Amino acid sequence: MRQGYSFNFGSRRSKIVPYLLLVPGLLFYLFVSFGPSIATAGYSFTDASGLLGSPLRWIGLDNYKEFLLLGANVRDNLDITLRTLLFSVLVTVFQTLFGLIAAVLLDMRLKFTNFYRTLYFMPIILGVTIVGLVWTLFFYPIGGPAQRFLGLFGAHSEFLGGSPSSVFYWIVWIQIWANMGVTMIIFLGGLQTVPAELREAARIDGASGWQVFRNVTFPLITPSLNTNVLLEIIGSLQAWQLFLVIKGPTNGLNVLGLWVYALAFGRQSNNPTSVAMRQGYGAAASMILFLLVLVIGMASQSLLSRRERRILG
Amino acid sequence: MKEKWLFGVVVALFVVPFMAAAQKTTLELLIHQNQAMVTYIDDFNKKFEAKYPDIAVNVSVVKADELAMSTQTRLTANDVDIIDMFGFAQGIQPFMKGADKPNWQSLIEAGMLMDLTGQPFLKYYDVAAIKDAGSFNGKVYELNTGRYAFTGVFYSKDLFAKYNVRVPTTWSQLVAACDTFKKNKIAPMTIGGKDGWPVLVGGYGILLSAYPDQAALVQGLWSGKIKWNDAKSLDMWKKMQVFARDMIEPGASGVSYDSAPGRFASGAAAMLPAGSWDASNIEAADPNFKFGYFPMPGSDNPADNKYLGGKYDVGWVVNAKTAKKDAALKWLAFFSDPENYQAYVNAVSIIPTEPTAKLGNAIGKEVAPYLANFRLGYELLWVGPKGAGQWAQPNASFFKPFNQFDDAKKLADQAQADLDSGLKAAQ
Repeated sequence: MRQGYSFNFGSRRSKIVPYLLLVPGLLFYLFVSFGPSIATAGYSFTDASGLLGSPLRWIGLDNYKEFLLLGANVRDNLDITLRTLLFSVLVTVFQTLFGLIAAVLLDMRLKFTNFYRTLYFMPIILGVTIVGLVWTLFFYPIGGPAQRFLGLFGAHSEFLGGSPSSVFYWIVWIQIWANMGVTMIIFLGGLQTVPAELREAARIDGASGWQVFRNVTFPLITPSLNTNVLLEIIGSLQAWQLFLVIKGPTNGLNVLGLWVYALAFGRQSNNPTSVAMRQGYGAAASMILFLLVLVIGMASQSLLSRRERRILG
Repeated sequence: MKEKWLFGVVVALFVVPFMAAAQKTTLELLIHQNQAMVTYIDDFNKKFEAKYPDIAVNVSVVKADELAMSTQTRLTANDVDIIDMFGFAQGIQPFMKGADKPNWQSLIEAGMLMDLTGQPFLKYYDVAAIKDAGSFNGKVYELNTGRYAFTGVFYSKDLFAKYNVRVPTTWSQLVAACDTFKKNKIAPMTIGGKDGWPVLVGGYGILLSAYPDQAALVQGLWSGKIKWNDAKSLDMWKKMQVFARDMIEPGASGVSYDSAPGRFASGAAAMLPAGSWDASNIEAADPNFKFGYFPMPGSDNPADNKYLGGKYDVGWVVNAKTAKKDAALKWLAFFSDPENYQAYVNAVSIIPTEPTAKLGNAIGKEVAPYLANFRLGYELLWVGPKGAGQWAQPNASFFKPFNQFDDAKKLADQAQADLDSGLKAAQ
């Protein structure tokens, strides 16, 4: 006699139940994510201002032509796209590296492991606005802690207020600092699935610590590596919040995600009365960002899956 | 029996406030961050609520450069009744081919702003102000509350006296004044560089000295008769670079707009290039601080420096779809009442658009000599062509340390090339 609850999956009614259970989630996805995405694609072919009641005209590919071909937009938008790609590469490489190092160190079961695990994960809990504020205060160029340190050597820096080319690298660092906790946790999960006896066997065979990591541990955490890399590529290509909180739309510093926001909600320049309300144009920019994420995301997924199959079979 | 009585009291305590709240109309007001303005509006609303006990006012405050976005989203959501809007005077001219409409025009054409034509409180205001900064196609949509100058520089009277510096009337005198302060370990100028736009606005004085007729400048740029890299403009860029690099204190890129008046009032710098709206914020930071205000002298010819550029600033617009039209109009009428309006002028130091009101405080006395030479600033007149590059504006914050340029000629050429791209596309 069977105990507890069970479904007879052979019956017609029971076959329907799993699909019924999927309905709320599916509806939520359709209305909150998929629907607006399709609407955005549609709006990208219009001159939508985002104002209810304003006339909406179908303008075909005009928004795309303006973004990609009109005047100096070609140069400016290409700059923004290249900066977005550079941001993504730097964040993905260094966040993965730092996350992996932190996970390996914590996996060694040293003293205060839980404390350090919490410490590394803390920025995730803080959220983007708090993170931006914390670093803005730390890098405050008039008497902030970082400037006081530099002052000991008679130096000065504008830090987050300075030249966009240097601010960009500070934001890369802050992005990594803020998100490394998740990377570390995923790697830790992967490391805990590596059988201890395999590492032990390698050590008995005379492998050094580095050799054990390189030839045994690292290949076996390939699924964690792939998950992290994919999440970081997609996340960093879409990142914009830190740029907004720390500096706002600024020539020479914008990335695509921020640019979409600026175009749609009217913060193209630091002129408070700048022209705004071009949500159709912003939608076209967001479709270009979507295509970029889609192509790079799928190519990365394909490469990573192939590598995983090659290593793990 | 006693329990029943107590129960009744408890129920009454809970229910009566809810019933009262249900009967009240709550007006939603959206304004931008300007501490003097926020403080005044809070006090004014208390007076308004005392006069109209059935109306409550809830105020939302956003940063100046987020006001356009908040206006758009909250009007669309129909959860706001009265909004402070600036930049209403900026309009498309016939020669601006293919340029985008200004925000306010989009809002009017979408039927989102209430037509205020014929409202009795309009009689209090200067007809020209209502026409120039509140009307579209013969109808009134904004109640403009005043003008501000933004091409001037606040200065500390004590520091100027202490180091024997006279108020500069030419560029060379300004450079010399800054050198004097630097030699005495005093920062010449501070500014809210973190927000970017205060540096842009700070440089507008240099632009005004170079081109006192800003409307002609706008037309000249569109027609190609004026170039951002011709000799006159290049001189302007060079001065903007000196302003950004040598006059503003190191580290000002981290100073927020909100904190700059307080920093200036603390004596950390001798000057603060800013709009006259900051007079109230300086006074709030230190009521005993003695300051003056002079037009930024961007030229070595004093005659070029006698102008003050500025704008029509805060104006009230009403959500056309509001269900609280009567309450909103009562609020505007109460605001426009000459006695209340005078209190507003005193509190926020705005140049009044009600002819009966007078700006008689310290900043009022400082700007009074220049009001005859008051000019609408470039920001209120310029609308750029589509396809113009990101550097096609006269912005001092494009220079280091705020941005990447350290060569005025290079930026001048870049600005003109970027403008040419837009003009060519507009053809």
